[in-house]
Amino acid sequence: MDFFGPTSHAFGLLLSGDADLWRIIFTSLACSLVALLLISPPAITLGFLIAKVDFPGRRAVVVLVQALLSFPTVVIGLVIYMLLSRQGPLGFLKLLFTPEAIILGYMVIAFPVLVVFTLSAVQGADPRIYETARSLGATRLRAALTTLFEVRFGVMAAVFNGFGRVVSEVGCAIMVGGNIAGLTRNIPTAIALETSKGEFAQGIALGFVLIAVAIGINVALAWLQGRGGLE
Amino acid sequence: MSSPLFAMQSLDKRFGQRVLFEDTCLELETGNGYVLTGPNGSGKTTLLRIVAGLEPADRGSLAFRAQPSALPGYPEVWRREIVYVHQQPYLFHTSIEKNIEYGLARRGMPPAERAARVRDALEWAGLSAHRDVPPHKLSGGEKQRAALARAKVLNPTLLLLDEPTANLDGVARKQVLELVTALCIDNHTVVVASHDPEIMRLAILNRLHLADRRVKTDD
Repeated sequence: MDFFGPTSHAFGLLLSGDADLWRIIFTSLACSLVALLLISPPAITLGFLIAKVDFPGRRAVVVLVQALLSFPTVVIGLVIYMLLSRQGPLGFLKLLFTPEAIILGYMVIAFPVLVVFTLSAVQGADPRIYETARSLGATRLRAALTTLFEVRFGVMAAVFNGFGRVVSEVGCAIMVGGNIAGLTRNIPTAIALETSKGEFAQGIALGFVLIAVAIGINVALAWLQGRGGLE
Repeated sequence: MSSPLFAMQSLDKRFGQRVLFEDTCLELETGNGYVLTGPNGSGKTTLLRIVAGLEPADRGSLAFRAQPSALPGYPEVWRREIVYVHQQPYLFHTSIEKNIEYGLARRGMPPAERAARVRDALEWAGLSAHRDVPPHKLSGGEKQRAALARAKVLNPTLLLLDEPTANLDGVARKQVLELVTALCIDNHTVVVASHDPEIMRLAILNRLHLADRRVKTDD
């Protein structure tokens, strides 16, 4: 198989501002970002509560969330598909094969990642953070926010990992999005489709974008961690 | 006779099978300084943490300004007046100035007034040159002084200091000792848990001693 021909064609597509290609990139990034924006607040809150509050069934919740972490995304896609299909309980919303359905799927996929990473970050936090805040007059909510701020790199790692998981996800996006050109086709589903058709150039171009996103996420995290040290 | 600033009645506290306090009582008078002594593991830190509302007791009642509260309840408004400083204080990962400002901001003080109070507190602690420095660049003594300034700036009615000079020696210990003495003289009601002979010798401090699961006074 010729590797260099399709690769140079791929760069040509990226640099020429190919509308179809950039539409796919936009769909992918937009769905991932919106999903993260919507699911981060409740997931981070739950992660904090599991870490700090001793309630009946806490262990069961942790096991459930950890189990969700290892769920195949295609199974999550299947469940959401059944919920959103015309005969499903949420069929009246008419969301199947729309970007909103992909966002919903991404939210479910990112949720356990965010909860588990936040839980781990808060459990590892120095207990004096919360106590110091409380002793200085902070309310419970404010002391919780102060704790999250002190472990902000762990929380940011949670968000970035959640983003990394959904932006490269293919099974759920195909099932609930339908891979419709110009509407729900995103980077991973487009790579799968184009490769199956033998059209490697677009797949390679999109692959480079995904790799750039992955590297960008890690560079951003490292940069923020550096700034956080107030060096 | 006026009621004490803070009173603890019939307090029990145990950790598992180990009984730390049994039917313990404590009274703190307004404006007085106290040094709390006792062997390691006698519960000095736990007692201060119960007074500060950071540790629940198993039984008993507390009263602050003659307002009672049955344990394990601890009124939120007390936290505005009772401040506890850890043996090894935690400074938030921001500048020393922001650390000292934290409690003032929680009290809704206007920024201009906060800035003036923080400036005074930095000067009091001898940390004016360190206002923008992050905590990890401070020495142990400087961190302790920053924590004392962060507590003092709130002008607390009751200040609880847990072994403020522990882990310090030489000049650092002397500087912290001076600040602790200044706080005790400065009309605050202060309780200092300490093993430090110099703190125990301070004539202005009343003695509280933990023994046999109770607090004993020297009178």
